[in-house]
Amino acid sequence: MATPEQAVTQRPAEEEGLTEINSDYKEKFGFSDPETGYVYKAPKGLTRELVESISEYKDEPQWMRDFRLKALEHFESRPTPQWGGDLDQIDFDDIHYFVRASERPERSWDDVPEDIKETFDRLGIPEAERQFLAGVGAQYESEVVYHQINEELEKQGVIFLDMDTALREHEEIVREHWATIIPANDNKLAALNSAVWSGGSFVYVPKGVKVEMPLQAYFRINTENMGQFERTLIIAEDGSDVHYIEGCTAPVYSTDSLHSAVVEIIAKPGARVRYTTVQNWSQNVYNLVTKRAVAHEDATMEWVDCNLGSKLTMKYPSIYLMGERAHGEILSIAFAGEGQHQDAGGKIVHTAPNTTSSIFSKSISKDAGRTSYRGLLEIADGASESKSKVVCDALLLDENSRSDTYPTIRIGEDDVDVGHEATVSKIGDEQVFYLQSRGLSEEEASKMIVNGFIEPITKELPMEYAVEMNRLIELQMEGSIG
Amino acid sequence: MTENEKEIQGTRVIEVCSSSDLPPGEVKIVDGPDGMKIGVFNCDGKLLAIEDRCSHDDGPLAEGTLDVSTCTVECPRHGSLFDLETGRPKTLPAYEAVPTYPVIVEDDKIRLEV
Repeated sequence: MATPEQAVTQRPAEEEGLTEINSDYKEKFGFSDPETGYVYKAPKGLTRELVESISEYKDEPQWMRDFRLKALEHFESRPTPQWGGDLDQIDFDDIHYFVRASERPERSWDDVPEDIKETFDRLGIPEAERQFLAGVGAQYESEVVYHQINEELEKQGVIFLDMDTALREHEEIVREHWATIIPANDNKLAALNSAVWSGGSFVYVPKGVKVEMPLQAYFRINTENMGQFERTLIIAEDGSDVHYIEGCTAPVYSTDSLHSAVVEIIAKPGARVRYTTVQNWSQNVYNLVTKRAVAHEDATMEWVDCNLGSKLTMKYPSIYLMGERAHGEILSIAFAGEGQHQDAGGKIVHTAPNTTSSIFSKSISKDAGRTSYRGLLEIADGASESKSKVVCDALLLDENSRSDTYPTIRIGEDDVDVGHEATVSKIGDEQVFYLQSRGLSEEEASKMIVNGFIEPITKELPMEYAVEMNRLIELQMEGSIG
Repeated sequence: MTENEKEIQGTRVIEVCSSSDLPPGEVKIVDGPDGMKIGVFNCDGKLLAIEDRCSHDDGPLAEGTLDVSTCTVECPRHGSLFDLETGRPKTLPAYEAVPTYPVIVEDDKIRLEV
């Protein structure tokens, strides 16, 4: 994921930057810590006893334990999905479902165990917090090891906690909203998350409060064959405003890990929520995430979803526009290199009149990588005078790469305005030739074209992340020419 | 009209079963008009009827789990929770209400008005 510290401090002249990006993922993000000194590491495998012990370990209320156990039944009774990516290679018995690295989430970096702190130092998180974030959560393995929010925001009633603490300290509000957007039985992976969830963020923004700087959560997997199942719930009360950013990386291993999160967002009347993801998992991680939001009357919900790493990503952030004049936007970038399949997209459902939405998807495939756009736009009966625009563009960098588009549009009203555009293109020889004639090398020219292709989305990122995103894309592009 | 359907004073009525055949916490699924099915629930003494069709993807609904404490049924396919009194979903992915029907008990017989 984005490491803004590097972006801010290590972005000198273009030439130096290009030299810098020669270092690969393994050195920058793919390092691992020794798996020693952990407080608890569950043996591999998924059983009823394991689910009960996670709940007991966390000292949860009975309703949550019942929720987990019922979810486990749903997971076991559902077949593995056969659409999208190939999930048959995941051995659900060969995964550590719960690994606790430290005793509790700390509010000071000084109290975080030394080796874990070093990891986050390398990833640039404390530095980013000092520079431009209103709050940070850092999850290492199954649980959050650090959580802090700006004091001013706390005084205004903003709650930003790890999910486990939120369940203990704000049980009523958690219970009222829990799984109302994504029920345990929504799909097989949501059921799995519901059974073994641990960590994630809880954000509550009171009525009318505007959180000026972003809140960030950073997710790090360290253990080999690890499953990370965080659960995030964001509630934005009437007229409030919040931007939440998540990032993630993992060590490079020869065996696979699994990341399967559930993210639920409720934007109440007039609220605005932006949720930005910069996913940069190592290429041995299956990233299977369910993200869904509701936007009530006059609310705005925006997903900015950047998918760079992972072996297989299946993720389709969705927005249900539930009240009049609600607005939804999904901006999605997917980059697939060798051995990667990015099956991404978005879903928007208009259920109320005068609602508006847009989906902009950009995908890039190289070295036989595969990207898929999978989207749904639905305008339900009664959602009259709604407007939506879907644009999905794919860029193929070589002959062996692949891009597929699976758009679904359902319209139940006559007086709506819906547009859909899709393009697939290759880097044109003429474009490269022109840039070379202006003094750029072939590789620089290609990078410039790719950065221009994704620019409509990166410009929506905070500056530090946009710079980092471009850097990551450049990193992925290394060696793609010649 | 199906075998168990009648018309009484201009209203179509469906015979469900005798009261004793639908104890608390149980459901009966009966044939309704035009090929539809209706689930009749005994929610701790309160009889409630809802079309046996989830508004999310038209799959069967009434064989889902009944929660008598809230009088809700959970769709067995994707987990949407429906209020049996109003037919409205309390959770996504469904967002449209499912039709509900008045239940009448006369002479120890449970009937539906459709």
